[in-house]
Amino acid sequence: MDSNKKYWKGLEELQQTPAFVDNSKSEFAESLPIENVLNEAGLSTKTPRRDFLKALGFGLGAVTLAACNRTPVHKAVPYLIKPEEVTPGIPNYYTSSYKGQSVLVKTREGRPILIEANPAAKGLNCGTDAATQASVLDLYDMTKLKGPILKGKETEWEDLDKQVISSLTSAAASGKQIRIVSSTINSPSTLAAIAKFTEKYPTTKLIQVDAVSYAGIIKANENSFGKAVLPHYRFDKADVIVSVAADFIGTWLSGEEATQQYISNRNYKTLETGKMSRHIQFEAGLSLTGTNADVRVAIKPSEEGPLLIALYNELTGASLSGAISTNAKAQTAVKLVAKELLQAKGRAVVVAGANDVAIQTLTNAINAALGSYGATIDLDNASYQYKGSDEAFSQFLQEAGRGEVGVAFFLNTNPLYDYYDQKQAEDAFSKIKFKVSFADREDETAVKVEAIAPDRNYLESWGDGNALEGYYTIVQPTINPVFNTRQAEQSLLLWAGDQSDYYDFVKNIWETQILAGTTKTWKDVLQTGIEYKGEKPATAYNFALALNDVTASIAARSKELAKDVEVQLYESIALRDGKQGNNAYLQELPDPVSKVTWDNYVAINPKFAEKLGLEENSTVEVAGENGYKITLPVLMQPGQAMGTVSVAIGYGRTKVGKAGDNVGKNAYPLAKVTNGTIQFNTTAKLTKGGQSYELAQTQTHHTIEGRNIIRETSFADYKKDASSGSGNKGKEHKTYDLWDKYEQPGHKWVMAIDLNACTGCGSCIVACNIENNIPVVGRDEVRRRREMHWMRIDRYYTIEAEGRGVTEEGEIKHLDNLENVSVVHQPMMCQHCSHAPCETVCPVLATVHSSEGLNSMAYNRCFGTRYCANNCPYKVRRFNWFNYWNDSRFDNYLNNEFTQLVLNPDVVSRSRGVMEKCSMCVQRIQAGKLQAKMEKRVLKDGDIKLACGSACSANAIIFGDANDPESEVSKALRNERVYYVLEEINVQPGIGYMTKVRNTTTNA
Amino acid sequence: MRNISSFFRSVVKALAFITVFSLGVTTFAQAQDVKAGEALFKANCTTCHKLNARLVGPALAGVNDRHDAEWLHKWIKNSQAMVQAGDEKAVALFNEYKSVMTPFPTLKDDDITNILAYIKAEGDKKPDAAAGGAGGATGAAAANDNVSSFMLVGLIVVIALAFLVIVVLNRVIRTLEKVILKNKDLKVDDEEEDGKPGKDYAGRLKKLAKNKKLVFFAVLMVGGLLTSLGWKDLWNVGVHTNYQPVQPIKFSHQLHAGVNQIECQYCHSGAFKSKNASIPSANICMNCHKGVTGSEQYGGETSPEIAKIYRALDWDPKTQAYGNNPKPIEWVRIHNLPDFAYFNHSQHVSVAGVKCQTCHGPVETMETVYQYSPLTMKWCVNCHQVTEVNHKDNAYYDQLIAAHDKLKKGEKVTAAMLGGLECGKCHY
Repeated sequence: MDSNKKYWKGLEELQQTPAFVDNSKSEFAESLPIENVLNEAGLSTKTPRRDFLKALGFGLGAVTLAACNRTPVHKAVPYLIKPEEVTPGIPNYYTSSYKGQSVLVKTREGRPILIEANPAAKGLNCGTDAATQASVLDLYDMTKLKGPILKGKETEWEDLDKQVISSLTSAAASGKQIRIVSSTINSPSTLAAIAKFTEKYPTTKLIQVDAVSYAGIIKANENSFGKAVLPHYRFDKADVIVSVAADFIGTWLSGEEATQQYISNRNYKTLETGKMSRHIQFEAGLSLTGTNADVRVAIKPSEEGPLLIALYNELTGASLSGAISTNAKAQTAVKLVAKELLQAKGRAVVVAGANDVAIQTLTNAINAALGSYGATIDLDNASYQYKGSDEAFSQFLQEAGRGEVGVAFFLNTNPLYDYYDQKQAEDAFSKIKFKVSFADREDETAVKVEAIAPDRNYLESWGDGNALEGYYTIVQPTINPVFNTRQAEQSLLLWAGDQSDYYDFVKNIWETQILAGTTKTWKDVLQTGIEYKGEKPATAYNFALALNDVTASIAARSKELAKDVEVQLYESIALRDGKQGNNAYLQELPDPVSKVTWDNYVAINPKFAEKLGLEENSTVEVAGENGYKITLPVLMQPGQAMGTVSVAIGYGRTKVGKAGDNVGKNAYPLAKVTNGTIQFNTTAKLTKGGQSYELAQTQTHHTIEGRNIIRETSFADYKKDASSGSGNKGKEHKTYDLWDKYEQPGHKWVMAIDLNACTGCGSCIVACNIENNIPVVGRDEVRRRREMHWMRIDRYYTIEAEGRGVTEEGEIKHLDNLENVSVVHQPMMCQHCSHAPCETVCPVLATVHSSEGLNSMAYNRCFGTRYCANNCPYKVRRFNWFNYWNDSRFDNYLNNEFTQLVLNPDVVSRSRGVMEKCSMCVQRIQAGKLQAKMEKRVLKDGDIKLACGSACSANAIIFGDANDPESEVSKALRNERVYYVLEEINVQPGIGYMTKVRNTTTNA
Repeated sequence: MRNISSFFRSVVKALAFITVFSLGVTTFAQAQDVKAGEALFKANCTTCHKLNARLVGPALAGVNDRHDAEWLHKWIKNSQAMVQAGDEKAVALFNEYKSVMTPFPTLKDDDITNILAYIKAEGDKKPDAAAGGAGGATGAAAANDNVSSFMLVGLIVVIALAFLVIVVLNRVIRTLEKVILKNKDLKVDDEEEDGKPGKDYAGRLKKLAKNKKLVFFAVLMVGGLLTSLGWKDLWNVGVHTNYQPVQPIKFSHQLHAGVNQIECQYCHSGAFKSKNASIPSANICMNCHKGVTGSEQYGGETSPEIAKIYRALDWDPKTQAYGNNPKPIEWVRIHNLPDFAYFNHSQHVSVAGVKCQTCHGPVETMETVYQYSPLTMKWCVNCHQVTEVNHKDNAYYDQLIAAHDKLKKGEKVTAAMLGGLECGKCHY
């Protein structure tokens, strides 16, 4: 059954705005001024003969001079004493970990250039998120401090140590408190170092606080079960998942791990066995998780609690007061969802995103009623990723405000940027006599402290992590410290009078504690990167709390929210809490849903905007409850709940560096504390702003003119007919060849992309950027539609109203809300067509086909006619308008020799005037082949992995040799769901897509 | 008297014989000692000792004078036992050099005597030779320094001589011409001769200039010449064949790879496993040059070129220790491929089995290395078109070769046939 759904890249397409129609006509946003030259006036202008001769003479002279070049002298400086393990030209891999995730760091000649998931940690992670991928760029950030700072002036470590120690001693002598304020620390060694420090200065206390707090869950678990921990969710064991405003495969808790688990019940392999999980999402703003849900119901933040009460009532038959009554659709949905949950008892999970103790306690009650504990929720193998306590931090501020704190240390935390009550934080700050920051740059907090003892990047450090009960990861340096920095732990040890080297300290902790009782040695751990003690058996927990207080609290909170406009603050996939604000790769990563780069914005339902009189490109002033005001551009977001807006935190940094300063506005101060936890659901007043502002969106770039390139089906139909919706049935294309047939006897490199597995998170885009030296172009150039990303993830909306899809362009006008949208993400890159239209139009044969099925691009041959881009039906070719890596106008990040060390030496950086596109990581293919040749063996499936594929936690991108019938990709491409985008135009693409299957009953 | 004389003669003969014999015997015995000692010395001692310079252990020249033979025998057999026994000299030596000398219990007393004899013989010999050598070396060095100015002066002299020869020859020719003319009775007046030729030449030139065919021909020739020169030149823009830059160390491949037959990959170890053949790091040099200092040619001093390695590493040959002020050696790259071309040595060296010399030329005969091949794409392509793929015993190629065999029926399979000419193989 072919679907009659219509897919829209964005509202512009749906509304056919004049700008959209205009832009869709040409591949490049700005047309060349040919008309101006060729029109009558242009032709009649006279070039004076003298000018012509001058130009000619100059040209001739310049060419002659250029030709008289002497052999350029290049120096080659070999190692004096070559480290035994380094061979120039061959990468070395080291295990390390980032935020508790075990990773492999690829280094070339001693410099890290790529981060990949550690295959030895299989099962725990097989991919990395965008932030992890991009973290390698943070190492080469020019903004970082070159050495310690004392009272705003550069200093030596000895002087700083003297100052700090004297302050500590005087604080200790006068009985003042010493505080170490940090984001969550799960490193056993860091904690041990702090314990050492506390031994020396007994008034020391460690305050852990996270910018994005999960204190609500921890506290709820403490209340409900006596365990103050974050549970380890097991979405792989859940057949029915209900999420109330939790973006669990995106930014909530452990997105990558959840993605891997979640997709394992929804990918092509599971579908082949006839199974698929079901996922229902209730939320206000359209999140990444919401776009992947089978059913998504838009609710306001104030309805989250009441909805859970209704769900609890339906599930248990109880009759708690305060159940949802304001949203008819949600009310019906709750009834249906409850039935499904009950049927899947023990195989179901309900998660809630709010950092609210009452809501989380109620969620616990629901999960206990569903028998989730011990099955889909594991409290015995707790997660230690977030341990921050909002209460502890506000206590610290009060203490400091009373002048009780003598010395405070700030480790990996930036409260003067990300704490909601800036005034309180600043007041408290001014009362602390001596403050030390370990920040790697002079950030918002570090500029206000007495001493900065710059910490090292994790790629220069020793350390460890313990993100999950029994799961320990190592952090080992992969480069010599670049600047005159010192690890924070080393500093703490030194100040505590412990002269031991932090390396020995970490090693000792591992040998005496973590590895005790095993046969493994320190060296084993350095090789594998992890020590996993195994999973403890998860046990069931009984919920025995009275819920009256909870419902009362929920009702009060709901009432408090249900005024003005409800605002939902959220973390964006790219920038998260804003710590990596100066990372240009992340700034330019399009948001998975809105496709906006380089800004945060007010996401608002177009119909609601209409009511408020807001238009596309207008700005709006958001006035928070505490009087904090920011003016942000408006983004029309279909799917956004009516009466609500969503604003991303993590933007509006002012002291982070060239790339990130003043990008967007800081939304943290809009948050507030209720019941001891920071709440990102809040309210605000909206007023129309004055000026207009154009967001740099990639959304409608590269439009596909409404062609049928997304294929979708429902799980019910899929079960009847696996090829349903794929458009494959009984459709044999008659193919014609203009060209001679040629053999591909060796390899034939192809890809299969599982649209069901792709969540749209975008980590593949960043991985591709880093692997292939793809430049970041900046906001202005993105506005001109000149982003360079070789791969993009297209996001298509289908809009439903009154139970049917919206298919006509003008129909949108008659809808009263645009809440019901569903989304399909489609990764799009060069399709390596066998009959590539780009190849035939290249006048200089710069893009040609290889005998291995690759569409190669010889940059040195290309002279920039851009015919190929105009002729590409997939719009995947990118043109270098500038030398982005060496042009002061693009001084974001790469325009200096230091940052250029991040470039992959196996891939040339393209120069101005040259076309480029996905090469299917030809450098990796060649390297894999060479390895096999050297070892005189057949190339095995899986020897070669592409950058995008290896970053993907969901294994949505499968790459391999189609000539090997046993390869994973060959098997995947034999799946009935496979279709080729635009195969009807006979370009014979090399990349097969698998129909999106949604676990719904109908596909209307 | 005959008897007496004969007796006398026989006595003299006998005496002479005995003298010669005894002399011969002594020299023979001595030679035996020293020769055996030399072999043993080279086999056992040179790793740590040199005669006239400190290596790991002390310089051995004069060791016979410093210690008595019995002590030396004991020391060589097991030095550590002596140190532990508290022998004063032994302890002092151990403390000075801070390394344990390998015990040689297998060496017989005779062997040790031989070694000591060799050391003594060499030690006696060395100073004189060294002195002579030193003088020679300084002379050579002085000559070396003057080489450029000497050549310059020489060149000027040669040019001056050539000019002189031309002038003289010209005179001779003119005189001869006069004589010939005289002989033919065409008497030319000297005065006329002086004035006329100028006019005459101008006239002739005018005449020639009017000859259109000739002018056309000349212009064509000149034009053709310029075009062909220009054409050739333009083709060679950026091609640096024979590029032979001056290197910071006058390293001779001719000596190392040619005379000493050191395998290329001993130093350029990257060539068979990596994309870069890699210039060896200085620690590779030190594998040999810790001991080999070239001092034979520099009168006991370290060769100035080898000293540059020491300077780079901040290595003190006297104390045998590395300092902490190393300075990397900045070699000048000879083979420069553009950024956009990817070249991998291991593919060519390990997989294809191409000899280094195929591309780099007879490096083993080069005193200073120069670029042998043009490194143009044409040069790459030409080779890929004819070079057969080295697929023997390489399982990777099996399937490819089988497929090609089907198509080509036994013709050879070149790199080009396996896609070796495709852009994407080198340009990404």
